[in-house]
Amino acid sequence: MLYPEDLQYTKDHEWVRSADGTWRVGVTDFAQEALGDIVFVTLPDVGAEVTAGQPCGEIESTKSVSDVYAPVTGTVVARNESLDTAPELINSDPYGDGWMMEIRPDGDPSTADLLDAAAYQEGLADS
Amino acid sequence: MLASAPVTSLRRSPLHERHVALGAKMADFGGWEMPIEYQASDRYGGGVVKEHTAVREAVGVFDVSHLGKADVRGPGAADFVNAALTNDLRRIGAGKAQYTLCCDDESGGVVDDLIAYYRSDDEVFLIPNAANTAEVVRRLQAAAPEGVEVRDLHESFGILAVQGPRADDVLEALELPTGKNGLEYMAFVEASWEGRSVIVCRTGYTGERGYELLPRWDDAPALWDAVLAAGESSGIRPAGLGARDTLRTEMGYPLHGQDLSLDITPVQARVGWAVGWKKPAFWGRDVLVAEKEAGARRLLWGLEGLERAIPRSHMAVASSSGEAVGEVTSGTFSPTRKIGIALALLDRSVSEGDEVQVDVRGRPARFRVVRPPFVAASTSD
Repeated sequence: MLYPEDLQYTKDHEWVRSADGTWRVGVTDFAQEALGDIVFVTLPDVGAEVTAGQPCGEIESTKSVSDVYAPVTGTVVARNESLDTAPELINSDPYGDGWMMEIRPDGDPSTADLLDAAAYQEGLADS
Repeated sequence: MLASAPVTSLRRSPLHERHVALGAKMADFGGWEMPIEYQASDRYGGGVVKEHTAVREAVGVFDVSHLGKADVRGPGAADFVNAALTNDLRRIGAGKAQYTLCCDDESGGVVDDLIAYYRSDDEVFLIPNAANTAEVVRRLQAAAPEGVEVRDLHESFGILAVQGPRADDVLEALELPTGKNGLEYMAFVEASWEGRSVIVCRTGYTGERGYELLPRWDDAPALWDAVLAAGESSGIRPAGLGARDTLRTEMGYPLHGQDLSLDITPVQARVGWAVGWKKPAFWGRDVLVAEKEAGARRLLWGLEGLERAIPRSHMAVASSSGEAVGEVTSGTFSPTRKIGIALALLDRSVSEGDEVQVDVRGRPARFRVVRPPFVAASTSD
C-alpha cells in the first residue's frame, strides 16, 4: 500500500495535507482497502464548525459504516462534491480525487498528534 | 475503526488455499473461515460491487463449501423427511430439489432453511446452513424410525456455485449438463467431470440463472481451477460471500439468523409457499396452521430507500407519524439499484406502498414498503 511522504497521518487512518492555512483531509489507502467498496459518503457542509477528534461525517461501504473524524478544530471551507455521485473515488484515488474536505483551523493548530508516513506505517504494523 | 477479530479455530473449505492466493478477505461465516471478497488482480476486479455486477451481467463462482451436507437413507426415508420438514416432497419427483424448512415442533420457529434433494423414496440429500447443520442432523436422527439413517456429510463434498447469465457457457466448456440440454430449474443430476463424480443442481441464491456443483471434497480445488479457466472468455470472477449477500438481498431471499430464526416463523417471513399446508404432519404444523388462520402479528416486507441511507440489521422502523412498527432484519446497498434496500419485520398495521422511517444511527431516513424482489429474477427459462 501507498503512504505518500508529503502527507501527515492520524491514528484514525486519515491523511492531512496542510497548505495556505487550510488542511485537506482524506482517508488512507489502508482505510479504503479495509472498508471495501465505498457507496455513500456524508460530509459536513461548508461553513460547519468541527472539533478535533470528533466525528463529523460517515463513510459507508457495502459492508459497514465508519465515522469521519475531524483532525483539527476549525471551519469546513470545502467539501469534495464529486463524492456525492462518485464515492468510489475514495477507493480508486484516496490521496487525490478521493479527498474529502478542507478545514481552516482555528488559531494556530497543534500538529503534535499527526504522524509522518513512517510512523503511521509503524502503527499499522503493530496493530 | 477497522479492527477485525482474529480468526481462530474456524473450519476451512477445501479451497482455502485458493482464496488466500487470490488475496481474499476472510471472515467467520457460521464457524467457517470463508472469503468475503477478493482483491483486485490483473485478471479479476475485486470487491463486493464488481463481484456482484459480474454475477448479474456475466458469471461469478462462489465457494459455498461451508454449507452443510447430510443424507437420510433407508426404507421410507422420503416419507420420514416429508413428515418432518415443511415443504411437500410429493410436489416434486425424484431428481428434483426443493427449498424447505426445519421448524421447531412447539414454537413453529425456524431451526433452519435448507435444500432437499429428492434422490429416491429411500434417499434424500440435504443442504442445511453451515451453522445449523449439526442441529438439523441431531433433530432428524432423534426422530428417525428404525432403518432410516441420518448422516452428517459436511466434509464429504465441496460446493461451487456458478451463477450468472453466462453460467451455461462455463458448464458447457466443462462438458457438464446445463439448462440448454434439459436440466430444469431445481433439477439435479449426477454427472462426471474428467472421470470424477460431480452433482450438478440448477439452483442458487442470487436470482440469476446458475448451478451448484458438488464435487467430492478433495476434488474441489481442481474443479475450482477448471471453472475459472473455462469461464475466462465469459468474464468469470471469483465472488465472495459479501456479493452473495447483496445478491440475495436484492432478490428478497431470507437469510437464516437474520430474516428467519427460531423467533421468526415461516408465516411471518412469508415463506409459506415452502410449507405443505395440506400434509397431515410436519414439525410445527399445529402452531403454524393456527398462526396462518389467525394472521401473523408481523410480516417480512421489503424497504427501498427514498433518500441516501443504508439500512442495517436491527435498525428500528417507525411509521411516518413516528410510531414504532418493527425492525430491519437485513439491509444493504443495492449495487444494481444504487439505493439502500432492506428486509424488515413490520407490524400488521403496515401495508405495501406505505412510507416508513428507518432510524439510521439517530437520523430518520425515508423508505417505501414494497414486495421483494428489488431486482427481477432470471432463474427460470
